Formats: sequence, structure tokens, C-alpha cells
Amino acid sequence: MTDRTRTALLLLPALLVLGGLFLTGLGLTLLRSFRYLPALGMTDPDLAAYAAILASPGFLASLGLSLWIATASTLLSALLALGAALLLRQSFPGRALISFLVQLNLTVPHVVGAIGILYLLSQSGAFARLAHAGGLIAGPADFPALVNDPFAIGIILLYVWKEVPFITLILLANLQTLGEDHESVARSLGATRWQAFRHVLLPMLAPGLAAASALVFAFAFGAYEVPLVLGQHAPKALPVLAWQAWTDTDLTLRPEAMAMAIVIAAIGLALLALVARGLRQGGHDAR
Amino acid sequence: MRADRLRLLAGLALAGFLILPLVPLALWSVAQGWRFPALLPQAWSGRAWAHALDPASGVLASLALTTLIALATTLLAALVGVPAGRALGLYRFRGKGIVTLLLLAPAVLPSIAVVFGLHGLFLRLGLTGTVAGVILAHLIPVLPYMTLVMAAVFSRLDPDLEAQARTLGATPFRAFRAVTLPAILPGLLTASLFAFLVSWSQYLLTLAIGGGRVQTLPLLLFSFSSAGRNDIAGAIALLYILPGVLVLILTARQVTGRGAALTQGLRP
Amino acid sequence: MTRLTLAGLAKTYARSGPATLHGLDLTVESGSLTALLGPSGSGKTTTMKLIAGLIAPDAGDIRLDDRSIRDLPPERRGVAMVFQNPLLFPHLTVAGNVGFGLRMRGLPPDRISAEVAAMLARVRLSDLADRRPAQLSGGQAQRVALARALVLRPAVLLLDEPLSSLDATLRDEMRGLIRDLQRETGITTLVVTHDQAEAVALADRIALLLDGRLAQHGPPEALYSRPASEAVARFFGGVNFLPGSVREGRFDCALGALELAFAAAEGPGLLTIRPEAIRLGPGPNQRGAEVRAATFLGTQTRIDLTVQGVALEALVAPDAGRALSPGSRVPISLPPAALWVVPRGRAATGGE
Repeated sequence: MTDRTRTALLLLPALLVLGGLFLTGLGLTLLRSFRYLPALGMTDPDLAAYAAILASPGFLASLGLSLWIATASTLLSALLALGAALLLRQSFPGRALISFLVQLNLTVPHVVGAIGILYLLSQSGAFARLAHAGGLIAGPADFPALVNDPFAIGIILLYVWKEVPFITLILLANLQTLGEDHESVARSLGATRWQAFRHVLLPMLAPGLAAASALVFAFAFGAYEVPLVLGQHAPKALPVLAWQAWTDTDLTLRPEAMAMAIVIAAIGLALLALVARGLRQGGHDAR
Repeated sequence: MRADRLRLLAGLALAGFLILPLVPLALWSVAQGWRFPALLPQAWSGRAWAHALDPASGVLASLALTTLIALATTLLAALVGVPAGRALGLYRFRGKGIVTLLLLAPAVLPSIAVVFGLHGLFLRLGLTGTVAGVILAHLIPVLPYMTLVMAAVFSRLDPDLEAQARTLGATPFRAFRAVTLPAILPGLLTASLFAFLVSWSQYLLTLAIGGGRVQTLPLLLFSFSSAGRNDIAGAIALLYILPGVLVLILTARQVTGRGAALTQGLRP
Repeated sequence: MTRLTLAGLAKTYARSGPATLHGLDLTVESGSLTALLGPSGSGKTTTMKLIAGLIAPDAGDIRLDDRSIRDLPPERRGVAMVFQNPLLFPHLTVAGNVGFGLRMRGLPPDRISAEVAAMLARVRLSDLADRRPAQLSGGQAQRVALARALVLRPAVLLLDEPLSSLDATLRDEMRGLIRDLQRETGITTLVVTHDQAEAVALADRIALLLDGRLAQHGPPEALYSRPASEAVARFFGGVNFLPGSVREGRFDCALGALELAFAAAEGPGLLTIRPEAIRLGPGPNQRGAEVRAATFLGTQTRIDLTVQGVALEALVAPDAGRALSPGSRVPISLPPAALWVVPRGRAATGGE
């Protein structure tokens, strides 16, 4: 057995599963987004579904909302995670407990967090009750809409809550590999504490931070259950809109659902490809 | 010292932030009537828990089903992912970068991109509405974690170890059993934990492929929550996060590598 | 040109961390190339980090000339440190690395590029200016690290085991480069090493650190031939030891009374004789010896001798040793100028 056949044999089962499930699922979604459905007698692929969604204000509003959700969640999470990682890198009383909580949070499913945020931030939720007790509001209606709201504040907070630990742990792992010596060198070469962070540590953390942020963006852009729990009625986040079109009793809407799914996939993939390419180039240059 | 106190404060804020959304869930699960604007439940009660733990309510059956699906998915993923991880971690070959990216893609792309097409396929195969169909669907986001973690494990393994065993008279199978397997076992355990947790958290794939007939915990949790049964939703939510907490306590730091495995896959 | 003074410098770690320092006094003369020598765990790297300001001392002072830098942050000390690993910044080019410190000082870009170019020419790396650290060999990376520190013209340059990550040939080249650059610039330089041969080959002066204390400080020859204590003599190794005592300028021991050339304190002591100082044939302090073994070592022959029941080791020219067979008897002499008495016990004392 040559090396090549051995490698191929080892990879075969995984590639079969990948091809049979993932690529087929993606491919069928793609085909149907082109309105190719021989079972229903639609055998001439066209772009009508894409034209239809692009012409619909509902789709564009949902696309905009989902981009806003993903962008805001990613930026906030990355920033807070950077701070948290730098904090947890130091030793101070209580660090072990916080590290434990960070990891614990990673195991909590999104839907649980979403319902927790709902009970926390809704107009009759825990914060509204605190505001009432503090005399700030007279009734639930006075409390600002933080969930099911037009700015998707609840959704963004949930993602920040879930993804800060995710990015923090990646950064902590990076920090551990890097050690503190590069910063020490920078300090002894005349860099202030801030300069050592800004010009040495941050650029060295950047690849890990970029990769983690891209994953967070792709997830926040495409996840269904979180906006389902915390989103408003209209406009809906794009995945929820797609699901609604797919489950509509009007079967002719299905190609539009598929087209929306493909748009979600394409945007997510484009971003990841961009980051992967950036890392690869940086990798060839720097490593 | 000022810096120390500042750190402690920031740490406390972080801890509060991390724990906060779980607090109302826990309170609701033991509340009996908790109307606005009461800060705490008017009365405490074990009713929600009694309901959740009553075999007649179906919550326990759902817990068992969710566990079964996650275990089966993990097992399948291990059978398929360990050989692939070995190929990626131990050998160099042309197109390795592409294969790695391809194997990573399902974990990174939102499920919504594949689930509609997958439903069409499974419909034809008679897999929609079945537990088997849900398990296969879960394999999509689970397999990348298994493969990439195992690739990292194998890349730290000395390939000469097996060769040494062979020169000492072991058959290929014996060499794997007696030398390689013990060496990769801790890594395999970690990968299995990730796999289990990823399957355990699935919502959309279960909903679409199970078509409402495969009621895992997150689906049940959502229906109680949207029906306004906050108390039962609280109890189910706590039941639902329990395995993750247990795993974390039992294995200490091992869950943390999950994100690292993914970002590693994006890198050259 | 700056003199570096460490006064009563002490550092203790709470847990079993790096080595501790117990009140280190050391003056590194202006413009000298001094080696801080010691076994691992003796506190060398701790000393370096204290001078660089990367850790804070428990007690004592660090002065450049007469100015204390003890409470200054690292970037304002005028002390540049080159670590054991090159630790180049992976996201910057070679030129970017060398210019890093100047950029932190806020110098104008054209000044920076001029100084960087001049520095790179000096370390013979001009054609690698645009490379990334990952594309450099170990020796090149180490030279970039050295250039990156030197371009700042620091008052004091600290080098932590600069040769240990290099293989033998690169090591010779790098050692020469360090010596040349140090002579050209006259920057007061402190080099940490655990390798005595390296310290001797590189430095004008050696400060030997044992167990967190300065055991001896002086020119390399002094530490070799006139060790201050038994511990120093044993650290340099390859020495014959004879217990006895000094009486009226002579040393009484198992070999009888031996003539001394140097004044030594009366009372018990330990005589040290380097093997290469022992002469075959008649002369002062002559004794009869029996040859137990002669081992040809290439450039020298080692002869194991028994003299009046005492085992001694001698190193002689290969020709001189060739004729000797085990069991034969030869006269040997111990030149008084090669006999040096140290206090008994391992107690370390400072001074020259």
C-alpha cells in the first residue's frame, strides 16, 4: 500500500460523510435556490428567486439587521474578550473562579442563554423589577425595550455573553504560547507598557483574534434560535426570515428561502475565506 | 495596591456578567408565582422540578433522547473522524490545506445553509422525522471538531512509535491497539467531549430534520418558554446545562481547546 | 561610558521560582566587557532582569555612575537587554525589528532608517533588511537581536547567554562579533553565561556568582590561578586539592612542607595546584612519584600519579608523557608560584 492510498483510505469515510451530507445539503439548497425542482416540474434553472428577494424590502431590512447584529456582536465581543484575556493572564485573588465561569459559559447552549437574557431584560424581567424597586419606572411599559427590540440589543447582548468566553479562551491559549518575553524585550528597548502592548503584543495576538472574530461573525450572522427567542416581529433576522419562507404553506416561496440560505452561506464563507487568506499570507510572511 | 484592586473589580464585573443570565432561570425553577414587580418570587415551590422529573411529563424521556442522540453522534464521529485525524496529523500529502478547510467548513458555516437541502435529501431517504436522521444531521457540525482535535493529537504523536512496535513483532492492528490507542486516548476523550457538547446544543438541525417528532431538550425548553411556563422552562434549562457543568468539573480544563481547534484549522 | 554598580541587591521569590539573590555587591567598570558567570540557579538571570527593570528588587540599589535607576521603569533606564532566545518580533521585518526602539522614542522616520541601515551594515545583515524573522537562521536572528539593542546606544548592554542557542562554528563568529562591537562602541556590557570557557574567551573580567552571592570578581587569569575560595576553585574544576596548614610561610601536608611563593594566612588551609603546573623532573618542592596511568589526550597527556600516598593528576606535553609506563617512578616538582592556598570549606567570600 503506497502512502497515497493509505492517506486516501483514512480520509475516505470523513469525505464521504462530508460529501454525502454537507455538500449534498448545500448543493441541493443551491439548486433549489435556482428554482430547479424536477419533482415539481421546474426544470429550467433561473435567478428569479434571487431577483424576488432582492426586490423585497423585507429581505433587505432583514439582511441589514443581521449584518448589524453580527458586526456589533463581533466587535463588542472581541474588545471585551481582549480585556478579559489580559485580565485573566495576571494573577489576582479569584482568578481561578472566573476562569471556571468562563469555561462553564462555553458549555451553555445558546438557547438557554437566550431564554436567560429574556427573563433578565424583558419589560417584566429582573432588571425591570430592579428599576421599579428603585423608583425609576412605574410599570413594565416604562422599561426600555431591550429584547424583541428594533436594535436587537437583547440578541447582541446574548452573543456578547456567549462569545466573550469563546474568544477569551482562544486569546489566553495564544498568550500562554507567546509568553511575556517579547514584551520584556520591548520594554528593555525603551517601549512603555502601552507601546509594548500596542506595537508588540497586539500584532502578535491579531491572527488569533481575527480568526476567532470571523467565527463569531459567521455564527451570529447565521444562527436561528437566538433571534427566534430574542428578536422582534419585523424585520426579522435573516435566518428567521428564511425559515419562515421555507415553512410557509405557499410552496412557491421555498426557492426564496433557499436563496436566503445561500446568501447567508456566501457572506459567511466570503468572510472566512478573507480571514483564512489573510492569515495564510501573514503566515508566509511572518512564520 | 491600586492595580490589584482594579483587577479584582474587573474580575468581579466579569464574573457577574458571566453568571447573570443564569440567575433568573434558577430562580424561576423554584418560584411559585413571581409577578411584576416582586424582586423575588412570592413563594418557593418544587412544583416545576416535580413536573420536570415526573416520568409522565416527558421531560426525562426527552433528556434520555437528547443523551442518546449526542452519544450516537459522538460514536459515529469518532469512527469516521479518528482515521481522518490520523491522515491530517501524521502524514503530508498534496491538497492537505484544501481537505482541512473542507472538513472545517461544516462547523463554521451556519446550519441554515445546508438544512433546507438536507431536508429534501432525507425526505427522499425516509429519514425525516426519525432519530437516525437527526443523528446523521448532527454529524455535520460535530465531525469537524472530532477530526481537527484528533489531527492535533496525532500531530504530536511520534510516528516511529508504531514502527518501533512493528519491529518488535506486533501486527499493524496490535501495534495500534497496544501503542497508538493508549497514546491518543486522552485526546480522543477530549474530542468526544466536544462532539457530545456540540450535538447536545443543536437546535435548528433537530427542528428541521426531526420535524417536531424528535423532541430533544432544547425544543422542549423553547416550547415551554414560549408558552409562558417560565418555571418549567427554568427547570429544564438547568437540567439542560447540567452535563456541560459535570463534564467541566470532571475534566477541568479540557473543554477550552474547542475554539482553539477551530481557529487552528483556519491557519496555514 | 557608564559604570554600573549593584549595591546589596537582594531578591527572594515566594515560591520555588528562579534563584534568589542575597545582597549582591558588584561594580561593572565603565566600558568593560564583564561576564556574570555561575551555575544554573545561581541568580544570574535574576540579576539581569533586576538591572533591566523587568522585576523589582527586595532591597539594594542599582546605579549608573552615581544615579540610581532602581525605581525607573525599564524603558527609561538606558539599559538594553538581549535575551537568550533572539525573541524577534515576528510581525516586523529585520529592519523593523532593529528600528523598534528608535520608533518607540519617536524619532523621525528618515533618521530611523539611516541609523538602522548603518547598524545592519555593522552586523553584516544589510541584504536581509526586508526579511521576516521566520526566514532567518539562528545565527542571523541572534545578530538582529544584538543590532536591535545596540542601535539604541544604551548606557549598559545586557546579554543573557547570547551564544547558548548557536552551534559551535556560529558561536565563534558571534563571540568575535560581540567582542568587536563592544570594543568599537565602548558600551559597558554584562554577559551572563554558565560556561566558564565562554566567559574566559569573551570577557575582560569575570564576576562569579555562587548561590546568590558574588564569589569572586576579577580578570579571568585571577579566577583560574588564584581562586578566592575552595568553591571558586571547584567551579573552575581540574584542580588538585591537598588539605594541610600554613606554618611560617610553608604548607604542611601529606607531602611534607612545601615552599610557597605567595603569602598565605597562617593556619589550616587547602592547597590548590593546577595539573598543568606540575613539572616532571627535578626542581623546587621535588618529590618522588609513582605513575599509575598515562592517558594520551591529543594535545596533552594526562598522568595519574601517587606521591607519598596522595593521588595527583598532572597534564604534560604529549612527548614528555609517552615514555612513562604504569608502575615506573619519576621525580616531580611543584613550582611555588603555582601553589595557591584557599580557606577550607565552601564558604564564599567576595573581593579580588
